[in-house]
Order: sequence, then C-alpha cells, then structure tokens
Amino acid sequence: MNQQHGQRPLIELRQVQRSFKQGRTVVPVLQEINLDVYPNEVICLVGESGCGKTTSGKIIAGLLSPSAGDVLYEGQKLDRLNGRERAAARRALQIVHQDPFASLNPTHTIEQILSYPLKRHRMVTDNASLRRRIWELLTMVDLTPPGDIVNKYPHQLSGGQRQRVSIARALTVQPRLIVADEAVSMVDVSIRISLLKMMQALRQQLNMAIVFVTHDLALAKYFAWEGRIAVMYLGRIVEIGRTPDIINNPAHPYTRALIAAIPEPDPDVARQKAHMPLRSEDIPRLTEMPPGCAFHPRCPFFIPGLCDVQVPPLAAAPGFGQQVACLPLNQGEGLRVVQ
Amino acid sequence: MTDNNVVLSVRDVSITYLVQRGRLKAVSDVSFDLHRGETLALIGESACGKSTLNLGLMRLLPRTAKIEKGQMLYSGRDAKTIDILKLNSGQLRRFRWKECAMVFQAALNSLNPVIRIQDMVYDTARAHGEKDMRRVRARILDLFQMVRLDPERVFKAYPHELSGGMRQRVLIALSVLLDPQVLLLDEPTTALDILTQRVIIDILKDLRRELGLSIIFISHDLAIAAELADTVATMYAGNIVEIGPVEDVFYRPRHAYSYGLLQAVPRLSSEANDLSSIPGKPPDLVAPPTGCKFHERCAFAVEHCKQEIPLLMPMGERAHLAACFESDRVHAASQREVTTQEKSEVQ
Repeated sequence: MNQQHGQRPLIELRQVQRSFKQGRTVVPVLQEINLDVYPNEVICLVGESGCGKTTSGKIIAGLLSPSAGDVLYEGQKLDRLNGRERAAARRALQIVHQDPFASLNPTHTIEQILSYPLKRHRMVTDNASLRRRIWELLTMVDLTPPGDIVNKYPHQLSGGQRQRVSIARALTVQPRLIVADEAVSMVDVSIRISLLKMMQALRQQLNMAIVFVTHDLALAKYFAWEGRIAVMYLGRIVEIGRTPDIINNPAHPYTRALIAAIPEPDPDVARQKAHMPLRSEDIPRLTEMPPGCAFHPRCPFFIPGLCDVQVPPLAAAPGFGQQVACLPLNQGEGLRVVQ
Repeated sequence: MTDNNVVLSVRDVSITYLVQRGRLKAVSDVSFDLHRGETLALIGESACGKSTLNLGLMRLLPRTAKIEKGQMLYSGRDAKTIDILKLNSGQLRRFRWKECAMVFQAALNSLNPVIRIQDMVYDTARAHGEKDMRRVRARILDLFQMVRLDPERVFKAYPHELSGGMRQRVLIALSVLLDPQVLLLDEPTTALDILTQRVIIDILKDLRRELGLSIIFISHDLAIAAELADTVATMYAGNIVEIGPVEDVFYRPRHAYSYGLLQAVPRLSSEANDLSSIPGKPPDLVAPPTGCKFHERCAFAVEHCKQEIPLLMPMGERAHLAACFESDRVHAASQREVTTQEKSEVQ
C-alpha cells in the first residue's frame, strides 16, 4: 500500500474490528481497519466524533485489543509476544492523551512523574543518571530551565507546559511510535504551533513515528504535509493517502464535504467558498448502521442500487493518488449529484 | 447615546474577581459600540476576559465578581436608553431574554434532561410573562423550522433524544423565542463536529438576516469570526487591544497580538505553512505587568511599551482602533507578508 520507505511497517492493523458493550447492545466502533504505520512517518487520523479515530489510536498504542483481527508489531502478532518482547513493544508504543489536566497525577511533582517510567523500565542506573535524564528530557521539550520545573506540581503549569510534560513522559522509554490523541486541541491557539513544531523536531531527531489523531483537517494538513492522512467515518477508513493528494484533490464525498465545510480564518475565502449540501445532516447511530456505504444516506452523489447495497472496499480510483472507499469512484464512473 | 443606530454601548467597564491573592482584573476599561444588525466577534484565548465581559452584559456574574466601574447603555425599541448596570432585579428579569438573550458555552448541557423541549419552551415563556401559549407554540415551531429542525418531533422530544448539533439549534431557537434585539453567544460552535459547525454558522447567518438581530459572539476560533463577524475585537489580558471591520483586522492587523494570532492558525486554503506561535504565556492578572500587558511576549516591543499603557487609537479612515505603540511596524510586517505571498502565487 505504501512503499515510501521500502521497509517493514512498525505496526500493522489487519482487518481490525472493535466493539464496545453498552448495556445489552453491542456498539461496533471499528470495522475492517487495515492500516500500516512505518518507522519515522507521520500519519494523521482525521474524522468527527464517533468515527473511531481515538479507538484506532489506542489499538495502535496497544492500550486496547481488537475484538477481531490482528495487530502486528514488526511483523509479529502483538498478543503472541513473549514477556520480554511484549515489554519491548510496550516501551516502543506510547501515547499522549488529549487532556493534560487529567493525564498527570496532581499529587506528584514533575520530577516524580518522569522518574516512575525511567525506574520501572530500568532506563537509568542510579540517582545521578535519573536526575540527568530528567533534565535532558525537560530540555528536549523546551521546558527550560529544568530546575524551575522539576519540583512543581501539574496545577502550577499552564496547559501547554503540561502537554510538554506529557510528551516528555512518553519519551522516557525511548519509543519508536507516539500516538498523539488530539494533543493540542486543549491548548491555546497561540501556542499550538510551537508544540507541533517541537513534536516534528523530536520525531526527526529521535527517529520516531507519530500517529496524530485530530478532528481538525487544517491542523492535520499542517502537521502531516510530508506524511499521510487517513479520513475516518463511522468506524471505517474512507480515504487514505499522501497529505497533498487528500487536501488538494479529495476523492471521497465525505472528505469533500469536510473540506468544503471547514471555516476558514480568512473573510474573503470564507465568503467565496462553495459549500457542499448534504442530503441529510443527521449522522447515523453506530448501532443502526445503514447498509452498504455508511455515508450514502447523506451523500449527494448517492447511486441507488449500488451504494446502499455493497460496502465499498478501500481501493485505488482512477484519477486519484490515494486510496478511497467509494464504489462510483473505484469503478471509474465519477460523481454526479443526484436530484 | 446620540447615535440611535447603536443598540449597546459599553464604556470603560472594568470587572474584577476576588481571589485569595487579591483582586484579579479580568476585564479592564473595555469600551465598544454594537450597532443594530451588526455582528461583533470577541476573539481571544482562555482567560482573556471575554466570557466575563459577556456575563457582565447580562449581569450574570458570580458573587466573587465586581463590576468596578463603567456604563453599559442599552437602547430599547422604545428609543429609551437604560444602563444595564443600574437595573434592579425586576427590571433585569424584563431585560433578559426579551431584550438581550444568551446562549451559553456548555450549550449541550443547558437543557433540563428530565423535561420535554415543549415544557422548557412553555416554562421560559411563562417566566417572562407570556400568557398566550398557543402563540408561543406557533412561534417556536416557526423558529425550529428556521434552524432546520423537524418542528413537531423536536417539540415533543427529551434532550437525550437529540444530537449535540440539534440541541445547540434548539437553544438558539429558544434564545430568540421572546424576540430579543441582542443575542450573546459564548463559543457557539466549540465542541461540535465540522459539518455541524457549518450548519450552525449558516443558521446564525439566516437568523441574523430574518430577525434583524444584533449579535455578540465570543470565540477563540478566528475562523468563526471570519465567517460570521462584521466587526472583530481581539481581547488580551482583559483589554480590547484591537477592534475594527473584519477585513481590516484580518488583512491589516495593527496590534502585535492580533497579528500573532493570525500567524498561529493553520489554514486549509493556502500553501503558506510558515506559521509561528506567540512565545510565553498570558500575564498574571492579579499583578499585571506595567505598560502594555503584551510586551513580554511581543516581538515588536520597545522600551516605551514597558512603561506606558497604550490606548485604543484610530488607525486609518474606517472604525479601526488598536492599542499598540508599534502599530505601524506591525502593519508593515503584515503587509510584507501579503506581498511575498502574492508574489509566490504569481510564480
């Protein structure tokens, strides 16, 4: 699918399904997800709430196991690894959560927060090297001078600073992949970019892959311009490919609708932008999924007898560099607005 | 108020909160006019005072807050001018919702979960002195239509039967039930999905046109301001630091903070990925820095900015004001950028 590196993927999701029980009903959250994450790449999972992007992120990070399907770490099934291999995989896969107010223990100092994983995974040998490593990590995430930070508690730091601590904590175990789940959405606009730039710099410096989960397509475009975007809708990837392809030449009707709907911070562009009217504004419930393509009840290009019958596979489409799950496009028919 | 085109005139308002360390100056010397039919966006980041100002306009501040000084003059339909700060509780009850209504930030949680939407509508109308419930019903069904909801279904529904976007639309319809002149919206699209955001934006545009509303909305999101606002005011550390027509503020910013914010937002439409953050963090408002409160983070700051407080001064011909000593340099920097961008587009 993606030969950009000619190397083996770090993580592979194979036909991954995941459902959650809600009382007596079973809610299917992810269906038939196939996704490779290569070493050192940036991939953004983009979609609206309930599309399964966070669940996918957690499965990639090894925090959730799939209900069906396989997760492979360096070609080996994650649930078949022996103790030592499993520990190595755990260290290699880290996550930075959305809410830096909830993800740091409020009763521990920053020094304590960073020292637990270092000790637990025997990343340091003695107190002197522990301290050295903590200072090094804080410097890496631009929390300088570290001496001002180590003895502080999370509540004494701003949201942006806390998110930096979260990133430093993920870095303690020298991961090969970080899942950043809406990592900047709770941070003020004026400092988001500096966090993103820092994450990009760390990725290159430390040779990590980043899976960036976000609802914000403009942010995904900025962060993953050199990488890939996967657009998700109701538990499936509907489009995946190189970021410039997705942004400049979106294929799937859902992606087109998203791009057309995004408010632009530019009055002239906002005024002139053509919007794409959908057939319905209601998002189907995950427990009552429509047959065929999940987007067909809203899709302005819906073809009766095709889109509402068959689930479109993620496949190539003539005229597009990316892969897309849309039967009319896959079959080379193009899209026509239905009346 | 001499200009009868102005529906709301705020003058030198300062609001403080009592905190352990003393008085936190949440809003300092804020002045602006809201014209009839105008949409004003108050843009700023967390803790810049925008929500406090909005709550102050409705006199809904918590007890720890104190409106230290200022005037909030509201010009009613009968052309009588009242000072919102001098209203007693009975007058306030008549003012709220009928003259000036508000949609709150945590909108998705502001509906009572145990009663139907219809009861919420009737309760609201009754509490504000409406007697003819048949008229109220007809009115809300019209409004539901206007906000693109299925009127009969929604009217009988409980909040949990509606999605977040639908609940937000119910609240918007409910807010204009008693035909207010002014509508205040606190982060109207935050926490909504993109396609839902688009619907809300379009609905607000429709409502504004059909009902002739004057709107103040507050947001941290510049994109919403670009979509909806006629006038944009940027707030920083309790002050309005720049206010003007939306094109002026977006294309010809005159305050270093507005310029910095615009530089920090990723855009879908342009290739220019040369973004940068504003360094540092907002000041402590219990003991704010001397001079311009932004000087510690400002790339344009000179010695003067540390000593003296800049006042809002007119920039150019239109109603564009900025409180920045170095506004010419900010302006020059922003224009340089436009020309290099245009050049690269030509190439």
